[in-house]
Amino acid sequence: MEKERFFGVNWQSMDAGMPPEMNSRAAAADQLPNSFLNLGWEQPMHHDAHFESALSSLVSSPSSNTPAGNDSVIIGELIGRLGSICNSGEVSPPSRYQSANTSCYSTPLNSPPKLNLSGMDHQQQGRGGVPVPGNQMAAGKFSPFAADPGFAERAARFSCFGARGYAGLGGQFGLPEAGKLSRVSSSQSLKAVQMVASDNGKEVPVSEPERPAMETRSKFGGEAEFGNSQEASSVSDRTTAVGAENNARKRKAASKGKAKGAPLSSSNMNPPKPSDGENSDAKRCKPAETDGADKDAAVKPKTEENGDVGRKQGEEGNAKPPEPPKDYIHVRARRGQATDSHSLAERVRREKISERMKLLQDLVPGCNKVTGKALMLDEIINYVQSLQRQVEFLSMKLAALNPQLDFNMEALLPKDMHQVLGQLPQQVYPLDMASTAFSYAQQPQGTPLQSIVTNSLDVQGSLNPLESSLRRPPTMQLPRLDGFTDATSQLGNLWEDDLQYVVQMGLGQSQGTAFSSQTMPVE
Amino acid sequence: MANQDLHAPFSPERGHASLVERSRRIKMAAEMGLARSSRHWSRALRRRLLLLRRGTASDGCGCQSEALTSSKEGGDLGVGANEEEAVEVEARVRALQRLVPGGEELGTERLFEETADYIEALQVQVSAMRALACLLDESREKRG
Repeated sequence: MEKERFFGVNWQSMDAGMPPEMNSRAAAADQLPNSFLNLGWEQPMHHDAHFESALSSLVSSPSSNTPAGNDSVIIGELIGRLGSICNSGEVSPPSRYQSANTSCYSTPLNSPPKLNLSGMDHQQQGRGGVPVPGNQMAAGKFSPFAADPGFAERAARFSCFGARGYAGLGGQFGLPEAGKLSRVSSSQSLKAVQMVASDNGKEVPVSEPERPAMETRSKFGGEAEFGNSQEASSVSDRTTAVGAENNARKRKAASKGKAKGAPLSSSNMNPPKPSDGENSDAKRCKPAETDGADKDAAVKPKTEENGDVGRKQGEEGNAKPPEPPKDYIHVRARRGQATDSHSLAERVRREKISERMKLLQDLVPGCNKVTGKALMLDEIINYVQSLQRQVEFLSMKLAALNPQLDFNMEALLPKDMHQVLGQLPQQVYPLDMASTAFSYAQQPQGTPLQSIVTNSLDVQGSLNPLESSLRRPPTMQLPRLDGFTDATSQLGNLWEDDLQYVVQMGLGQSQGTAFSSQTMPVE
Repeated sequence: MANQDLHAPFSPERGHASLVERSRRIKMAAEMGLARSSRHWSRALRRRLLLLRRGTASDGCGCQSEALTSSKEGGDLGVGANEEEAVEVEARVRALQRLVPGGEELGTERLFEETADYIEALQVQVSAMRALACLLDESREKRG
């Protein structure tokens, strides 16, 4: 029947459409601040004594403010030491971590130690700042090193190794997503390692573990922060940390391949859609070399550009203008574009806006064929207008269809709108009295559609079995109403259930049914 | 559909006014339904409905800071980097602001968010009303 089809098609499309977007949008606000916090650090927890000693030596040196030159030597030493430790550490069970990564140098579950060793050293040297970028806290510990961003990055990495609380959080509390993603990243890093070994292209594989790690980070960031805050007391200069981080990010961009550029620049978009982003980026890791399977075609050209730019910049060797520390959302400067905070913020805004426009594009039917902002906006406006007109027309039609249908405005609009939601539970039950035909005006106020249902369906019969079935929905749905967070999706569900009941009633009845008492709370 | 029945209960003169009246009330009731969510546009709609209900002028607060979106549009949306385009886009954004309840106070980004939510809510509303109309039609036909 037309009705059922109507329901099936419409409700499904709407319901399907709503939640992901709602979720993504809702999550956007939450995720964004954490988006770049930690990058690729889900592996690094070592409780190894060696690490700690290395770390302490490293930590102590910055506090003494030795010149960067000496530190780089120390760092180099540490890198070497860490490499060996990582290798030996691999043998010890990674059982602690779901990902079974014992080293942040991308030790995948299965990778043979020797391969790692060669790869790791390679990577260690090449990837100096790679994982660091997101790790704000870690980087924050080594403020004096900001002069040499690469150094700072490496130092930050090492600090992560020794970060106990962090390790505890990461390894044990183990976000399931983090674990999964780190597994992904570990498989990526396996690839990376292999590629390193084979190609000697340190730049390319490096980035891979990072990206899924980035997604992990966005969720992980909260706890990581929490864990690291304990360590942060040693040295914490956030501003320089961010500065180092930004430089590290650019450096990392430098070392990334083409397709990898996408995650960084689109990482702005990733947090907003973590659920989508993680999967798609994880997938993107794999075909990275071949071709990014982007969800956003728009991002790709930027990506290419960025990748080239990044590499170019990387080769120049850290000659990057320091980004302003106040911007926690990191955007890569593109070729020919200013890198000051204003234009960056502008760009972030623009990206957010285009993201929203894409959302709208999905909502509005027929918007896909249209290109260009103005035209798309036109479509959107037309659609909203048409929807509003439809509401008017339908209300006219309803009025025409059922002459008895009317509303008591006094009842509908309480003086204080804030009471509206609160009134709802009470309104349902007073309607419980079963009475035969009565118009709405006689009824105590109910919710709008409630009243519509009440009135329009003929109340000729008295209580019938269907009524009892209808008694259920009010109770079922009240909790939902009270817990109204995302109105639209829930509203959609409510509507669906309610109207299904209505339909059942309407279809099942030859006579009118006494809906009055059991009319469903509609909102 | 039993179209004849539609016109039967009321003659055009007498019934028309009441039809319009009722339809207006029905529409308001529908909007009340829309206004129950906790989104920005929904709250704005609530305010508007309340004001309408009380009969006071509601336009005072309507013309709020459109300046919010005045000059930012060029930068925000103007990836086209065209002066004309930016102006066009801006004009459309304003139009959208007027459509979405409470949109005038919002910046572009938030406006789009609210628009998406508003569209969804409208879709739900329209579907519900349509279904109801179908239902009523059916029951009407059955009753003869």
